[in-house]
Formats: sequence, C-alpha cells, structure tokens
Amino acid sequence: MCGIAGIVRADPAAPVDADALRRMAGALAHRGPDGWGYAREAGAGLVSTRLAIFDVPGGWQPMRGGRGTLLVYNGEVYDHPELRRELGGLRDAPGGAAGFATTSDTEVVHRLLERDGLAALDRLDGQFAFAWWEPAARRLTLVRDRFGVRPLHWAALPDGGIAFASEASALFASGELRAEPDLAGIDDVFTTWGPRAPRSAFRGVAQLPPGGLLVWEDGALVARRTWWEPDVGPGAGDAGAEAAAGAAAPAPGELDELLADAVRLRLRADVPVGTYLSGGLDSSLIAALAQRASDHELRTFSVAFHDARYDERAYQRQVAQALGTRHHVVEVGPREIADGFRAAVAHAETPLVRTAPVPLMLLARATRAHGITVVATGEGADELFWGYDLFKETAVRELHGRDPARAEALLDTLYPYLDVPAARRGPAWARSFFEAGPAGDPLFSHQPRIAATGVVKAFYRPEVVAALAADGSAPAAGAGTPRERVAAAAAERLRADLPPAFARWSALERAAYLELTTLLAPNLLAAQGDRVAMAHGVEGRFPFLDHRVFALAARLPPERKLGPGLREKAELRALAGRLLPAAVAQRTKQPYRAPEVAPFFGAHAPGWVEERLEARALDAVGIFEPARVAGLLRRCRAGKATGFREGMALVGILSTQVWHERFCGAGAHAAAARAAEPGEPRVALDAEGITNR
Amino acid sequence: MGETEQVATGLRAELRAYVEEAFLYLHPDVELRDEDRFLELGVIDSLGFVELVEEVQARYGIAVDALEITEEHFGSIDALVAFVARRR
Repeated sequence: MCGIAGIVRADPAAPVDADALRRMAGALAHRGPDGWGYAREAGAGLVSTRLAIFDVPGGWQPMRGGRGTLLVYNGEVYDHPELRRELGGLRDAPGGAAGFATTSDTEVVHRLLERDGLAALDRLDGQFAFAWWEPAARRLTLVRDRFGVRPLHWAALPDGGIAFASEASALFASGELRAEPDLAGIDDVFTTWGPRAPRSAFRGVAQLPPGGLLVWEDGALVARRTWWEPDVGPGAGDAGAEAAAGAAAPAPGELDELLADAVRLRLRADVPVGTYLSGGLDSSLIAALAQRASDHELRTFSVAFHDARYDERAYQRQVAQALGTRHHVVEVGPREIADGFRAAVAHAETPLVRTAPVPLMLLARATRAHGITVVATGEGADELFWGYDLFKETAVRELHGRDPARAEALLDTLYPYLDVPAARRGPAWARSFFEAGPAGDPLFSHQPRIAATGVVKAFYRPEVVAALAADGSAPAAGAGTPRERVAAAAAERLRADLPPAFARWSALERAAYLELTTLLAPNLLAAQGDRVAMAHGVEGRFPFLDHRVFALAARLPPERKLGPGLREKAELRALAGRLLPAAVAQRTKQPYRAPEVAPFFGAHAPGWVEERLEARALDAVGIFEPARVAGLLRRCRAGKATGFREGMALVGILSTQVWHERFCGAGAHAAAARAAEPGEPRVALDAEGITNR
Repeated sequence: MGETEQVATGLRAELRAYVEEAFLYLHPDVELRDEDRFLELGVIDSLGFVELVEEVQARYGIAVDALEITEEHFGSIDALVAFVARRR
C-alpha cells in the first residue's frame, strides 16, 4: 500500500522539477511511511511512497519494466503468486527462471501490462490504483480498481500536460495548481455524502471513477472510460428473468467456499495481518474466517464508545472470546471526536456529513501502534447482501403500493435501535415515511436520504444557490425557486449517470447499485475507509469486495439476501450460524454511527469550533449564511439538535469550514508548498541528460 | 379581546415560535401559514414529528398516546393550537 503521484508535460523537452516531485512525496508520506522513490525522464516524473507489505526489502518503486516502461502502483493484487507462475516465474524468488527481480505483486502487474496491455486488468483480483508510463509512445495510463478502494486524482495542466496523485494534497504540493472549492463537488456531499467521481471537492481536480481508466498520449486525453462496472443482479423484468435462468443461483455452500478463499487471499502479506471487529455480522464473519485460515494468533481491533447508544463492545468481546483472538479496544468519547475531527477532514480532503470517520482514524492509529499495518474488514457486505436499513425501507415502501396494511405493520419492526420505540411514533410518522418519493423514480430507494441530507443546502448563501442553479453542467432541473432547482439538479445529475442496465433491475437491485456507487466508493471506502486508515499507514482489505464474491451475491435470489420478515443478509447469516456465537449470528444490524453534535458543544468543546462557525469565519469562506447557522447553533448549544438532519447540518457546515481553512484558506497554499520533507529516496531513476535543478 | 382569546393567541404565538426555531429555519423557501400541513410542505419529517410531540408533552404537561400522533392533532399550527388548548 502506498501513495503515487506524477507530472507529465505535453512538451517532452519541458522539465519536471525534482523539488516538485519531492514535495509530492512529502505530501503522501503518511500513505507510505517506509520510504519513497522517483523517476525522471524527458517531460515526465513519477513518485512512489511505500508501505512495504510484499517483498519488504525488494519491492521499491518506481519500477522499470523489461520493455522500458515505468510503473508506480498503490494497492495489492492478491492472486499475484498464481499470475507469476503463469508468467513463467515458477520459483517465487528473485533471479528465478523468468528473471523476476522481486517477489512483489507490483512486478507481476507490470509484466502483465507489458505483455497484455489493458487486457491484463480483468486478471487482477485486488484493490489498486496505478500509473503506467510508456516513454516511447509518451503514453500515461491511469487505472483504478473495480470498487474504488484505492483513490486516484488527476488534473489537466494548462500546458496540455497532466498531473496525478493518490491524494489531492500532493497535486497542490506540486505547485502546478491551487486548491479552490468546486461547488458541484461540495453539493454532492450534501446530496449523497461524498463527491461523486469524476468530481472532487476541488475545482480542476478530478477523481478517476471506480473501475475507471484514463489514457493520456503525447499531450491529449485519448481515452476515459470504465473497464469494469457493477452488474448488481439478473433483474426483475423479462430480460432479467432470462438472464436469471441462464445464470443458475449459487448452490448452498458456494458462498462459504468462495468467501473463505477471498479471506485466505487477503491474509497474504509479508507482514502480520489483523482484522477490525465492529461486533456486527460482517466483520465477525471475516474475523472467524481469518482465524481459521491463519496459523498464528489473530489480532482484532475495535472502537468502543463512551455513549452506550453507539457502543457495541459487548458483542465485540463475545466474538473475540469465542474465536480466541488477541483483542484491542480503542475507547472513543466526545473529546476524542472533537480533537480528531480536523485531522480526519484533512485526510478525507472533502467536507463530511458524519463524524463516523474520526473513530476509524483513531482505530488505525492504535492498530499501527500495535505493529499491525494490514487489516481485513467487513466492508461491502451490506451493499452485496442487502444489509442496510435502506433496503428494508425500500422493500416496505414498495410494498405499501400493493398492500398498505402489511407495509404499515412491517414499518413498526424497523429501527429497533432508535431512541423512540415504534409504539411512540404514531400514524404521522408512517405517512411521512411512505410518502418519501414517487414509486416510478429511479432514485426511489434513495429519495429519503437525499431529502434528509439536503437539509445542509438550506444553509447555503443566496449567491452559492445562484451559482449552483446557473451551473451549465447540470441537466435542466425545471421550474421552482433557485433552491428547489439546486436540489432537483443534484438528483438529476445522478439520474443522468445511471447505466442502461438500471432499467431492468428491481427496486432492491437498483438500491444496491446506488449504494455501491453513491455511498460505498465516494464515502465509506474513501473518507471513512482508505483516507483515515492511510492517515496512519494502515491498509484495509475487503474480502466481500472480491469481485468473485460480488458476482456470486448478484446471482443470489432476492430472498437469500433480504429474507422473510425483513431479515437482512439471510445467506450470510446462515454461514455465520455455523461459525459464530448465536447471539452475534442472529443479531439485527446496528448502523455504525458516532456522536455528531455533542462533541462540539459544552464545557469540553475545543475553542476552534465556535471560531470556525462565527459570522466572520462563515463570511470568509462564503458558502453558508451566518444568520441561519446561528439558528442551528442555538439549537445545538441548548442540546435540542438531536435529530439526524441537524446532526448532518452541523457536521456538514463545520467540516466545510475546517476543510476550506486547511486547503483553500490564507496560508494553506504556502503550507502546501512546504510539504513534509520525505528524506532520502530509496529509488532515484534519473534518465540520461536529466540533471537536478 | 377576551381572556380565552388572549390565551389562544399566546399559545399560537408560542407554538409558531417553536416550529420556526426548531424546523422552519431549515426551510428558507417556505412561508408557513397556520393552516399549512407540515408534511405536505416537507417542513417536518417522521423524526421531526417525534420531537414535536415530545416538546408538546414537556412544555404543556400533556400525556400523548401514540394513536393520537396524527396529522389531525400535530399536522399544522392550527391543529396544534386546537389540540393543546383542548388537552391542557
């Protein structure tokens, strides 16, 4: 796991500044704390910072291939030993018959690329982002893994060149561009919780989409496309029924075997591996399978909350004891969340609507302090096997059109973890729930979330609303007030990006696709995943996001995902019943959340919170309206802002203020140019004629 | 203005102030009239109703049964005023 970056000029005679590469490496040092390297050629420079996992002494980058191409690579391809054998490297050692110089996966990927070109991508089982430079053609190819586990940003440079980096900070550190807010990217955060690729929160900085690739050749972008897209199911329509008949449902036991294999592959590393344990079904299952596949004592790591409403430590302990793991717990209270918030926002590089990434950043810090740099987690299971409440809500709302009485009875069984029991909600709750969005809308499943999150937009200043409403890139959003048009445009942007297959999917399959593409990649794997783990040089691995597991889940009949009586993840639960304590296997899902308002108010709250939210600071950033924010603050200070919406509004506004100060504020640009000094490079490939300047 | 009317006016002003402070500030485009339905305008959602009911119980010392949490009683300023005036 690593950080990568680089600059390529349109003019091959134009130099790439060695200091710029060094600053980019400095900005990515947290992703690769074990060392860095660079390569410089005519009009091109590549950088790698390395977290050593495979071939610790040998696998340094940039790597030069047999055909003279260069690769910087972030991530893991888990089937690299099998691919290596196919490439002729029968002996897993440097200097073997096929002349491999290292035992790293990087070299295997590089050889495959040099042999097969982009056809090699389908062979890769893993999570990766890389940049491949072919000097003869002056061709740069950027690639990102199927689900978007590893990040990759890029920016077109004014001279026709291109810069890329794992994190946007490295682009700013290069001195090639300055950080400025992108209102549409920020508006994405307040629609579905994260900027959706290709947008980022920064103007002029694009994200490569999950499963995406880009080819730049001699001054021009010659390809931008996806090499993989999620097909979430056989579909409910006629065409779907035929497809379903063609692809037989998985046999009982098929998942057991495949998931065990996905876990086994993800334990491959030349360093010790642990797992995160939330106490829920998914991470417990991964821990159980990891314990079985591992020949040494497994280490498990958990977040526990002071506030009992969020805390799952009893379940965590139960699983750890049942499996006999060496268990570590990080205690998180309001103070830890407030103290860690700014760092989490800085690593996320985007405004947030939840504080949930903060505890995970603290967990990564503790994990690293215990000497573990690789952790397997349960991420992805809720999207593949329909675990989230959103799937139940969608099912119940859809049922309401056909059988209102049964749907209303089922509604009472939802949200057992809410402070307010079903018996206290009343008919008005039901009506509001069932009227959350029209049944024919492709975004049917997500309209409640879009509406709830959109509350942050109520705080936009009029000029921000006007700018967003006038944004020519947004599809026509119809009539209404500017604020209504902004809300409609965000949903319309999303509808416009839906794939043709969407039409044949069922409501729940559509929900799964939207979860994968609007929440998992832009938020859970990013701000709440890669970024906060890599903040402390910890690599997350996700067995459920093995593309073979995904394909199997897509073939499962719906009732083996959302079972009778709205029992979520039926197929996984059956497997868990064979591996885990009954209390854990049968437990209803509890969403992972962290306190949102309480950490920032009261006697223990840090002084910067009120400073960032006062009128002068809001005016300086220019996104939110001070008078309206003052109303929210009154509610927060009085302890009245207890709902989801106000929690999101506070976190959205505060994180935007913090984010802006960190990246776009006075002094931020100069700070970017003074990125951390990365020390002496482990690799320095200077082509002939390139001199340091 | 008679005493009863004065009380009702005071109650109406109190409830409107509360609804504005707790919910309307999140909906800058909405101009809420006393007869407007909260749900239809999207001013209050399902969780908002829970807060509204709790506030009415705490502020006026009324015990509200779950089956009473209907739009008829909580769905607009007019509905709230009538319900509270009748029950407190």
